[in-house]
Amino acid sequence: MSLPFRSGPPFLLAAALLGGCATSEGVRNPSGVPVTEMRPDERGFVAGTGIEAQDMVAVTDRMARSILGIPQISRAATPPSVVLEPVVNNTRFPVNKDIFLTRLRTQLNSKASGRVSFLDRDLMKTLQRERELKRSGQVTASADPNVVEFGGADYFLTGKLDGMSTRTAAGTSDYVLYSFRLTDARTSRIVWEDSAEIKKQGLEDAAYR
Amino acid sequence: MRPTARPRAFRGVAALSRPLFALLTAAAGLPGCATAPDEPRAAVRGEAGVPERDRVLHACRAAATALRTGDYSGAKARLDDALARLGGLIVDDAAAARARSLFAAEDTKVFVGEPYERVMVYYYRGILYWRDGEPDNARACFRSGQFNDAGAQDERFSSDYVLLEYLEGLATAKLQGDGADALARARVLAGERFRLPDYAPGANVLIFAEYGYGPRKVAAGRFGEQLRFQIQDPPSRSARLVLHEGRTVVPLPAYDDLGFQATTRGGRVMDHILGRKAVFKAATNAAADVALAGSVIAADQSHRRELRGKEGGGSESAAVGLGVLGILGKVVSSATRAEADTRQWDNLPQRLSFAALRLPPGEHSGRLEFLDREGRALAARTRPVSLSVAPGDRDTVLFFSELSR
Repeated sequence: MSLPFRSGPPFLLAAALLGGCATSEGVRNPSGVPVTEMRPDERGFVAGTGIEAQDMVAVTDRMARSILGIPQISRAATPPSVVLEPVVNNTRFPVNKDIFLTRLRTQLNSKASGRVSFLDRDLMKTLQRERELKRSGQVTASADPNVVEFGGADYFLTGKLDGMSTRTAAGTSDYVLYSFRLTDARTSRIVWEDSAEIKKQGLEDAAYR
Repeated sequence: MRPTARPRAFRGVAALSRPLFALLTAAAGLPGCATAPDEPRAAVRGEAGVPERDRVLHACRAAATALRTGDYSGAKARLDDALARLGGLIVDDAAAARARSLFAAEDTKVFVGEPYERVMVYYYRGILYWRDGEPDNARACFRSGQFNDAGAQDERFSSDYVLLEYLEGLATAKLQGDGADALARARVLAGERFRLPDYAPGANVLIFAEYGYGPRKVAAGRFGEQLRFQIQDPPSRSARLVLHEGRTVVPLPAYDDLGFQATTRGGRVMDHILGRKAVFKAATNAAADVALAGSVIAADQSHRRELRGKEGGGSESAAVGLGVLGILGKVVSSATRAEADTRQWDNLPQRLSFAALRLPPGEHSGRLEFLDREGRALAARTRPVSLSVAPGDRDTVLFFSELSR
C-alpha cells in the first residue's frame, strides 16, 4: 500500500533535521576538557573571587623575597631561629591556613641558603616524648638527653588575611589583604612587615542570579 | 493497482498533508534534540553516578544526613565538595546558557541552590570548622553565608540572618577580637522578637540546634514559570536543653527561619527570563491557534468554491500557508520550556537555634525538648541526650536536629 503522496521529500527533510540533531554541534567542550597541567601562579579556567592557588603562590613568593632582604636575616652572624605561628583568617573565605606558612617556609629554606632556620614546634609533643624515652633509657641516645637542646625562637613569623566583600546586582567584589610580620621574640618589636593585596570582581551568569 | 485519480476532496487533504506530514515528522524528532549527548555523571560518595548538574544537590542532602547521624568527617567531605562549586562564579557556562534558552528548562543548569540553600552549606561547614578548633574558618563560613544572602530585592531582607551575624561576633570574641559590632548588628536584625544574650567569654560548650521542616519549592503560574515556596507550620516552635535533672535549662529559641528567608528574597533575574519564556510560549500558542483557525476557514472556503465549480481563488494556498504556520507555532510553543527549577535540598530544617554555656569537662546527660507555640514540651519529640565536654581550650561543639536524616 502506498501513501497518498510521494513520501520522499518529507522523509528526507525529517532525516536531515534528525541527522543534524545527532551531533553535539553548538555544545562547547561536549567531551570535557582534558587535564591540563598549569603553573601554580597561573589563573585557571575554574575561578572565583576568593583566595586561590595563584594568589597564595604570588603572595608567599613576594613575602619570602622580602624577608630575605632585611638585615636581621641577611647580615645575621648566626642563622636566626624562626617559629611559624598560625595565620589568622579574617576573610569570608575558609582556607587551609597552614599552606601559606608551609609554602613560605619551603621558599625561605630553598632560597635562604642556610641564612635562616626554622623550629618545628608542630612536633614538640613527639620530640618531648622521645626525649623522655631517651632519659628513661628505654631507647638509645647519641647525646646526653639531659642537656636541653631544644632551640628557642629568635623570631616569630605569622600572618593575617583580611577581607572586604561587596555584592550588588552589578556583581561580586572581593578584596583580600595578606599581611605577614616577623616579631623579635626578645623585644616584641616587629622587625619586618609586608603585605600584598588582591582584588577580584565578577558577575555570575544570569541563570544563577 | 496503483490509483491514477483521487476524489477532489481527498486531493485537498493530500495537498494539505504533504507539508504537515513533513512538519509533524520533524516535530516528533526535534524534542529528542533538546539534550546534549551523554549527560556527564558524577561519582558522589555513597551514591552511584548522579548527574553532574545535580552533584551539589546530592552532596548537600548527604551532608545534612551525615551531620545528623554523627558522621562529621563524611559531612565535611560532602560540604567541601559542594563548596568547591558554590565558591566560584559560574560564567560563560554552556549549561547556564542552555537554561536561559527558550527550548531548555531551567533545571538543565548546574544546581547551586537558592540563597537560603547556599547559606546552609556555609552554616553547616562553619559548625564543623568550629568543632575542629578553627573558629576563624568558622567565622569565614558564617560571613560567606551572610554574603550569599546579600542582594535581596528589598534591602531590609538582605544579609539578615540573625544567627550568622551573632556567630561571626562570637568567633571574633573567641579570637580575642572585638565582636561588639557584629553583636550590635545581630541585635538590630533580631529587633523586638528576642533578646540576644551577651557573649560569654568563658563559655566552652556551643550548642547548635535545628527543628521544623524547611521550605518546599513549587512551580506556579500557567507554565510553571514562577518559583514559589510552601512553608509548613510544624509543631516545634522552640526547644530547650535540660541537663543535670532539671537544674540546668538551656533555652534554644528560633533565631532564624528558613521559610522566612526563602520567601523574602524577592525576584531573581532568572524569574524575569522564565517570565519572558512563558510570554513567548503563550504568544506562539495563541498565534498558532489563530493560524490554524484561519487555515480551516480558508480550506472550507476553497472547498465550497470547488463544490460550486469555481476555482479556489487562492484560498487553498492560504489554507496551506496558515496550516503550516499554525503547526509550526504549536511545535515551537510546546518546545518552549518555561518551568522553574524546583530541585531542592529537601532535608533542611526550618528553624535555627544556638546557645553557648560553660560546663565542667566530663559527661553530662539530660534531655532535649521541643516546645509548641504555647511553650509546652512535645512529649513525643523529647529525646535523651548525653554530651561529653572536652578538657582544654577547645570549645565543645554539639549539634542537635529534630530531623532524623
